[in-house]
Amino acid sequence: MRSARVLLRHREKNLALVWLTVCLALAIALACLLPRSQLNSSVLALLPQQNLGQAPAEIQQAFMQRLDRQLVWLVSSNADDGDAVAAWWQAQLKALPELKQVSGAMDDLQMQRWGAFAWQNRNGLIDDATRARLQSGGADQADWILAQLFSAFAGVSSQELQHDPLLLVRGAQLALQQNASKMVLHNGWLTVNDPQQRRWYFLHGELDSNAFSIRQSHQLVTALNQLEQQLKTRWPDARLLTRGTVLFSDDASQRAQHDVETLGSATLAGLLLLIWLVFRSLRPLALCALSVAIGAMAGTVATLLCFGELHLTTLVMSLSIVGISADYTLYYLTERMVHGNEASPWQSLQKVRATLLLALATTAIAWLLMLLAPFPGLRQLAVFAASGLSASCLTVICFYPWLVRGLPVRPIPGMVWLARWLAAWRRQRVLMWGLPALVAMYALLGILQLRVDDDIAHLQSAPQQLLAQDRQLAQLTGQQADQTWFVVWGDNPQQTLQRVSELAPALQQARQHRWLEGYRILPLNSLARQQQDLTLLAQAAPTITARLKQAGVTLAEADLHAMPVTPENWLASPLSEGWRLLWLSLPDGRSSVLVPVNGVRDSAALAQLAAQQPGVSWVDRKASYDQLFGFWRTLLSGLLALALLLITLSYVIRLGLKAGLRSALPSWLSLAAALATLGWIGASLNLFALLALILVLGIGINYTLFFSNPRGTPLTSMLAVTLAMMTTLLTLGMLVFSSTSAISSFGVVLCSGIFCAFLLAPLALAPRKRKQS
Amino acid sequence: MKRFLLTLLLLWNVAAHAVTLEQLQQRFASQPVIRANFVQVRTIAGMAQPLVSRGQLLIAQQQGLWWQQNTPFPMTLILDDKRMVQSMSGQPPQVITAESNPQMFQFNHLLRALFQADEKVLKENFTLDFQDKGNENWQLGLTPKAAPLNKIFNRIELQGGAYLNRIQLDDKQGDKTDITLSDTRTEPGHLTDEERARFAPTP
Repeated sequence: MRSARVLLRHREKNLALVWLTVCLALAIALACLLPRSQLNSSVLALLPQQNLGQAPAEIQQAFMQRLDRQLVWLVSSNADDGDAVAAWWQAQLKALPELKQVSGAMDDLQMQRWGAFAWQNRNGLIDDATRARLQSGGADQADWILAQLFSAFAGVSSQELQHDPLLLVRGAQLALQQNASKMVLHNGWLTVNDPQQRRWYFLHGELDSNAFSIRQSHQLVTALNQLEQQLKTRWPDARLLTRGTVLFSDDASQRAQHDVETLGSATLAGLLLLIWLVFRSLRPLALCALSVAIGAMAGTVATLLCFGELHLTTLVMSLSIVGISADYTLYYLTERMVHGNEASPWQSLQKVRATLLLALATTAIAWLLMLLAPFPGLRQLAVFAASGLSASCLTVICFYPWLVRGLPVRPIPGMVWLARWLAAWRRQRVLMWGLPALVAMYALLGILQLRVDDDIAHLQSAPQQLLAQDRQLAQLTGQQADQTWFVVWGDNPQQTLQRVSELAPALQQARQHRWLEGYRILPLNSLARQQQDLTLLAQAAPTITARLKQAGVTLAEADLHAMPVTPENWLASPLSEGWRLLWLSLPDGRSSVLVPVNGVRDSAALAQLAAQQPGVSWVDRKASYDQLFGFWRTLLSGLLALALLLITLSYVIRLGLKAGLRSALPSWLSLAAALATLGWIGASLNLFALLALILVLGIGINYTLFFSNPRGTPLTSMLAVTLAMMTTLLTLGMLVFSSTSAISSFGVVLCSGIFCAFLLAPLALAPRKRKQS
Repeated sequence: MKRFLLTLLLLWNVAAHAVTLEQLQQRFASQPVIRANFVQVRTIAGMAQPLVSRGQLLIAQQQGLWWQQNTPFPMTLILDDKRMVQSMSGQPPQVITAESNPQMFQFNHLLRALFQADEKVLKENFTLDFQDKGNENWQLGLTPKAAPLNKIFNRIELQGGAYLNRIQLDDKQGDKTDITLSDTRTEPGHLTDEERARFAPTP
């Protein structure tokens, strides 16, 4: 017996040593990983990756990063000093180190370079309308030239006619203007007038680097706000609108940081206070902190190893995991506090180990289910939680029997109340039937009010002021932030351009079908198309000259040499100003073009159109997110229902029909009540609420398990469950106050569900105990 | 005494017959429909002969401008608030809408403002130089203030009496356009059915 115990100790010692080694390894890994990793605050990173359709992942990512880097301003003032205000704003922006390529007014030199490039490459830059006129053999082009010559306001000059007798530059320019937005050139500025005839000046800039840290973003946004103040002091009449992902992500990250700081510290303080009140000793505090810290460390390392980064939302949500990981410590420490005198630390551990492991398993499985969801943020959270909770639990099992020696043994605080509560469950039929009935009624009435809503827009809780600015900007410029576009890609630039030119006629048809209102297609021809155009030109030129001669106009001889335009020299020219964003080249030569689309009426038809063309995919981000949300909500609902059925079945098999159903009832009712709370507060059911329900199920079962532990006493279980519930509510309850609506509704579902699970947990216990007595 | 002064002032005003831009605009505003013949002479520097075209024009305050060139080849131009349609026989009409090409529409508004002496639009774009030439005749010189107009025109000159008679455009590149209006009619004061049909939207 004695040697067996020594042997056991030996094994336990080894176990502790092994876990210590693992913990040290984790600490070293953390020290290595943390300095190199970054905290991701981009809202887009939270969303599923496969949102650019079938386009290669590198292209998708590069486009997304680029879009995130853009900033746009509209400045306006009195008509008289508008130019000065805009110029001042441009100068201030140029001085900001965080920005590059700030563009505003086009000066005369740029205009000249623009004209020079357009002229030198006119044979390679032929537009669709001119091409159509040339295809008739030249007669149409001749008529068009005549119409331009005779029109008083077309302003064709002798100089233009001398240099470009076929008016190719003019044709291309007109086509570009057709394509352009609502903007008007005014003193070199792109401007737009609002209905009150107020003139707004357009400016554009880019963030200087791809990976913009939270600190950098915040610096930039602060600097911009200060500049805006200065602007308004100098010109009280001036107004400014800004658009940029950085504004939204800075806002989100500021709020998340605020959440982490205030909610985090409140949670921690509450937790410490609770443990102090129950144990009246410092050691449990330290032990709790130790297991939570090891859990957080393991979670961070695992997440960094799997994803290479931590998302801010993960960080906020992991607050909730702190609470749950403290449960394991509390359960063991409660056991020790109550039975510390009659049992050794190892005997206590044996009493609770199976329950602890079972609890860990259910919770971890609930979290790991979230790995299924295609949301990077949630996946991170799942990995963080599963690994963090496991580490916390293992810490309790491996270390704590060594560390709890000398822990004071005290009577259970509030024992009278807990005992009365348990007794009531056993004796009062009113409580036994009444409370579940009451909860069921609450659930039913709430669920009747519940709406299902997969609209992703409800998840964004950007401040009204930012959204209003965005709307006004969209209204003025006609550039919606809808993010609907075609992505065209190819193995090399020429293949990409070829595919773009094949897409163009399909788009024209789509517009005729009213599937969409408009699109912006890159005004750049493939070399093959340029060669065809040149042939057309050579065939049409004699006809044009002859026909104009008939009308009494003698043209200079047209230059019919090839003037090839490659993407490289086009991108380097001022002609691509305003278009460069739509072109993307990867180092390996693959390239891609975005074709933004506005006024989409039939997203499905456009998706089909894209499917018929090689190397083209249709992207309607919002629609595809909504669809995705809906799909995963339905799938998870199914999984949840299946899990509930399996759990009920296992209870029934173990305990018989009546008792089994009774034991499963807390799970059913807690899920229903959590759903109902959403309905009562007027929130809607979406994917995030479903994910919270999974956790409610996982944690709720823990309570039933603690109660049904055959080696535990009901009173200890009651105390442990009460403590666990309180810590969980303390931590998850804080999520309710998060300023991010997705997180806060997640918190609401969790809290109401878990509280209900706690209330009804004795249901699993009562009948069995009554039979025994 | 007061009444005397007032009468004197009124009499003096009538006697002087001075035309102001404001009066001119009021007069044009009281003519809802104007029909006229035009001769346009475009002199392009370096081109042997000037480009001469003739035709009719119609300005209706509500509908816009209809410009029908008859010689040397037929071409129709319709301008209204929302679109500009240029049609030539044998070619699909070229339609430019205010949404698709606001830049072009700056010119459209300008063109109509020229014909209707719309002081507000003109003042926004030009420095005005109004001269009373006596006998109800007047001349209005326009010098563009801002880009892109000041890159295109040196000066635009309007001349007229009871009606607008002449528009001269002096191009930055040394080209000149001279539009002379004749046989101006303001009756009937509303569009005939046939005239109304000209402004009907093209399919």
